[in-house]
Amino acid sequence: MLPAECSRRLVAELRDALDSCAELQRQLEQSLRVSRRLLRAWEPAETPAPEPTPGPEINEESPSSACPPSPQDLKELELLTQALEKAVRVRKGLSKAGKGVKAHSLKSGSTSPATRASAPPSTSHCAGSCAPETKPPRGIRPPWVPAKDLPGRRLLLVGDGAHMGKGAGANKPEAGLRDQQIIPQAVPPVPEAFTLKDKGALLRLPEAFRKAASRNARLWAQLSSVQTGDSVDAAAATAKTQFLQKMQTAAGQPGSRLSSAEVGRLQKACSLLRLRMREELTADPKDWMQEYRSLLTLEGLQALAGQCLHRLQELHSAVMEQPQGPWPEGPPRAASPCGGGADPMWSPQLLLYSSTEELQTLAALRLRIAMLDQQVHLEKVLMAELLPLLSEQEPLGRPWLALCRAAHCLLCEGGQRFLTVLRDEPADRLSPP
Amino acid sequence: MGRRRRRQPYPADAARALPDAIAALSRTLPAAPSPEIFRRAKFDRPEAAPALWRLLFHVLSPLSADSASVSFALEAQVRWVKSVLHSQGYPRRALVQLQDDGSQGGRELLLALAWLLARGPLPERLLTQSHVRLGDEMPVCECEALASPGPPAPRVEAEGSVDIRHLQWLMGKLQLRWRNLMAGQQEQCALLGKIHLYTRGCHSDRSLGHLSVTETELLRDPEGGRQLLQRLETENARLEAALEWRHRELVFWRWMDTVLDTCPLEASPPTFLPRIPEPGAGAAGLPVRELQALQEELQALQEELREAVEARRATWQAAVGGHGPEWRAARRALQVAVAQDLAALQWAWEQGKGQARPHGPRRLVRTEARVPGRPGLWATEATEALRAREVCLEAMLRQLQGQCRQELARLVGARPGLIWVPPPAR
Repeated sequence: MLPAECSRRLVAELRDALDSCAELQRQLEQSLRVSRRLLRAWEPAETPAPEPTPGPEINEESPSSACPPSPQDLKELELLTQALEKAVRVRKGLSKAGKGVKAHSLKSGSTSPATRASAPPSTSHCAGSCAPETKPPRGIRPPWVPAKDLPGRRLLLVGDGAHMGKGAGANKPEAGLRDQQIIPQAVPPVPEAFTLKDKGALLRLPEAFRKAASRNARLWAQLSSVQTGDSVDAAAATAKTQFLQKMQTAAGQPGSRLSSAEVGRLQKACSLLRLRMREELTADPKDWMQEYRSLLTLEGLQALAGQCLHRLQELHSAVMEQPQGPWPEGPPRAASPCGGGADPMWSPQLLLYSSTEELQTLAALRLRIAMLDQQVHLEKVLMAELLPLLSEQEPLGRPWLALCRAAHCLLCEGGQRFLTVLRDEPADRLSPP
Repeated sequence: MGRRRRRQPYPADAARALPDAIAALSRTLPAAPSPEIFRRAKFDRPEAAPALWRLLFHVLSPLSADSASVSFALEAQVRWVKSVLHSQGYPRRALVQLQDDGSQGGRELLLALAWLLARGPLPERLLTQSHVRLGDEMPVCECEALASPGPPAPRVEAEGSVDIRHLQWLMGKLQLRWRNLMAGQQEQCALLGKIHLYTRGCHSDRSLGHLSVTETELLRDPEGGRQLLQRLETENARLEAALEWRHRELVFWRWMDTVLDTCPLEASPPTFLPRIPEPGAGAAGLPVRELQALQEELQALQEELREAVEARRATWQAAVGGHGPEWRAARRALQVAVAQDLAALQWAWEQGKGQARPHGPRRLVRTEARVPGRPGLWATEATEALRAREVCLEAMLRQLQGQCRQELARLVGARPGLIWVPPPAR
């Protein structure tokens, strides 16, 4: 058993690490939930917009505003629909045996196509949403055709030919096609369920949102440009500096306070120096010039490290002298993103990728770095607590051995592998009589 | 809507200049009190103090604390603001001496706010923190992906001692959690890739090309879309106020000078109010242990560098010779180049700017064509840049483990009669 203080500290550290992971996991699961939901079938709802036109282009077939279909159109529609139905029947007959898919018969009810036809699209756009008026009542689930039976039709409708009935939601029977809007292309009646896979390319963002977003981008750009050089700005900058100086002198004490920012800077210095050292040590100098350069760099790094250390020691002694004020708990002083090096001004920055693998590699690497960071921290903490413990304990008993073995496992093998301890019996005890 | 046309930018009416400036400030800061409060604060009116304490609390706390902040009583907020300002180096001691119930000190708080505003672009920073993210974002800088855990939940502290096996168990649990995280992350990337692929061609902004999850979600869920739109519009209003503030702020600084003048000069350094000092972990100030840890790290680094330099110097001295005058010129050139290099490195941490690349999360954009000159960072390049850090961390970990192995071997070697069979090397 470990002593109480030591136990408390170590358990607290490990629990902190577990909590950080749990928090990340929680956020990840939330994102996963949202993404999975988006890749299933859903209804792009009509966005309520204050503008005159009822909603965005999503809502194309606003029946009331569209002109009524001409009898000619209806007629053609009927003919096309019937032709397609026949084609489906034929194809189904061919493929039914092999697929083993539940084959729903196509209801050849002319009523359903007709009701749909009552709201023909004025455009050939194929979007997801459905104006309430034309939406058939929820109860009547229109017949659907299994996706696998209509590969060709898919191609015709969606026009990009990339999807062949597999992928996200291949098991969805409602992998439906929105037929109303694409009647000119002659589609059999299918359910109105919408999937991103099929119709994603036809979505449009609502007008109000687009305007707000572009205004947002413009305002940010303006704000950034204001920061850089302006006669008004220069005067304000001087006024600010003067004010700060006045504050400092009015305080009556030279500001030799230790600030957490300085410590942060030194921490950053340490990691940058270390990184640079690694680079130099792993580089392979090709000629004497490179060798010399490498040598000079390392010497320079050494000098910088010395400077930082000196400054840190100064600060340390200053801290020890100052009376420590009250430090109440409050909201966590989480390091500002990127450790204070963050740009104070937002600007649109893009991360471009061309394949899912690229994205996955990058994300995995980021997680791995976070994990390694945590492991290094834990390693240091464990070392600080366990090694003194082991060297202090004198009795060479089984408890101490067990502790040693466990410590070795934790400290040297990352908690993954164990060593074996054998007692070496003195030889004479084993010698035969 | 287009650009708003003003009759003339920010009419400079002298009498209204200050109130307008303060009004702009009030509109751009989160949770700011009305301009009238600012005026009262100058005269140290009591009603101004609580509002300003709350404002400072909001301004200083990181974004994640927003939801939690309502749970903090005014007194707790007051104490916290004091400690944070102190750690940031706020020069005036009058602030620390104000009463904790938050009933006094309007003028001092006004000065504190002005101090924060003068030190850096505070409104812009706050706006960036709370910026409504419309895209799928991923940070690619080398900073930590793990936030420090939130406010410690009131958990039951592990009483007393535990067996070391409990620690091993916790470690195992940790490793399992990481594995789950990695798997989940991969799935999320795959899903994102699909969503981006399926929605390509939708976005009105050609440079983006496809919708993000946030944008697609707002199409699926109109209520959520409304809320998003509202947040965007609030942000737009605050952005406009920030622009106005930038144009008008000079008059504010002149006014702050007068406020400072009305304050009495501070006397000789007083002692702190008698309280139980809590130096150490959990403090919002400067934990001494942190300093110690950093010191040790720097010392270790220096030691490593010293060894490397000695070795290379020796090799170099042996190899030098037989180089002519042109070598001397080349050597000088190299010295200059290296000096510049190192100065840039030093500047990187002095100025607080990490890399040449700006930090912060970036919006993911899926794109087919590798068009050169397209603004944005490529994922492959970001991966390359991160590999260096991975290698560095791995090396650090191995080195620490090696140190432990040596130490344990030493401890064990002192006890004869045992054979230690290490596990098979990987």
